[in-house]
Amino acid sequence: MTAAPEESKKEQDQRFEREALPWMDDVYRFAKWLTRNDADADDLVQETYLRAYRSWHTFQPGSDARRWLFTICRNVYLRNRERERRIVDTGGDDAKLETLAAVQSHADLPSRSWDDVFGAVDLGPAIERAISELGEPYRSTVLLVDVDGQSYEEAASILDVPVGTIRSRLFRGRRLLQEALLAHARDSGMLPSGDGRHGS
Amino acid sequence: MKKLDCGSVDCTQVVSQLWDYLDGELTEERMRDIQTHLTACAGCFPHFDFERAFLKALAATRKEDRMPGVLRARIMEKLREAGCEGLTSP
Repeated sequence: MTAAPEESKKEQDQRFEREALPWMDDVYRFAKWLTRNDADADDLVQETYLRAYRSWHTFQPGSDARRWLFTICRNVYLRNRERERRIVDTGGDDAKLETLAAVQSHADLPSRSWDDVFGAVDLGPAIERAISELGEPYRSTVLLVDVDGQSYEEAASILDVPVGTIRSRLFRGRRLLQEALLAHARDSGMLPSGDGRHGS
Repeated sequence: MKKLDCGSVDCTQVVSQLWDYLDGELTEERMRDIQTHLTACAGCFPHFDFERAFLKALAATRKEDRMPGVLRARIMEKLREAGCEGLTSP
C-alpha cells in the first residue's frame, strides 16, 4: 500500500526520517546477530536502509516500521549469503517433543538454584557463544523471541514463516542451546559430570 | 515422565507445554491450569524452574549496541545520494 496520494516526495522523505531512522540501532543490533561480523553488519545495515528508502512507498503508514526493517534486513542477509536452501520444518507436535526432550536433558541433574547456575559469570560468554554457533534458522528465531523479546507472531512476520514454524524452530533452538550449555557447565565443573548424575 | 495427577492436567501435559506456558502463548484457561499444577506438583516445579532460569539467562544476553557514529554518517550520506531530501539528522 502507498502513502497518502497528496504526500509530496519531500513529505515522504521526512516521514522516512521520522519513522525508519529511529530504528537504526535496533537494525544494527539485528544485523550483528545475523552476520556475527562487524564489517558485514555495517554493510548489511547500509543496504537495508537503502532498500528501505527505495521501497518506502510500499510501507503501510501506521504499521510497525521496526518489524518492516527487520524483514528487509533478513531478506538482504539471506540474498547476500546465497543460501536459500530449502528447510523442512517440523510441525507443532514435534515442538512438543522438543520441549519434552529438553526437559529430559536436565531431568537427572540434582536440584539446585538454576538462577545461580545460569547467572554465573562464566556462563554469560558461553551462552553468547552457544547462540552464535547455533545454525540457521534456529539462531534468528531464538534471537528474535528469546533475546529481543518479540512474540511468536512478530517473529513469524519478520521471518515470513507461519507461527507454528517459529514455535518448532524456537523449541529446537532452545534444546540445542541447553545441550551446549549443560555440556559447558559440566566441563567447567559447575555441574557434576555424567558419572555424578542422579537417577530420576 | 510420571502421570501424576495434580489438578486438571497431568505432568506429561504440563512438561510438554512448559515453553508455551513461559512464553504466555496458551489460552488463559490453560495458563491457569498449568500454574495450579506447578504450585502443587513437586515433580514438575524443578523443570519449570530450570526452563524459567534458562530463558531469563538468554534474555540477559541482549545488548543495547548503538550504531557507530561513522556508520550512521555513512548511511545518511548514502541516503542523500539516493535522493532522500531534507534529512535533518547529521
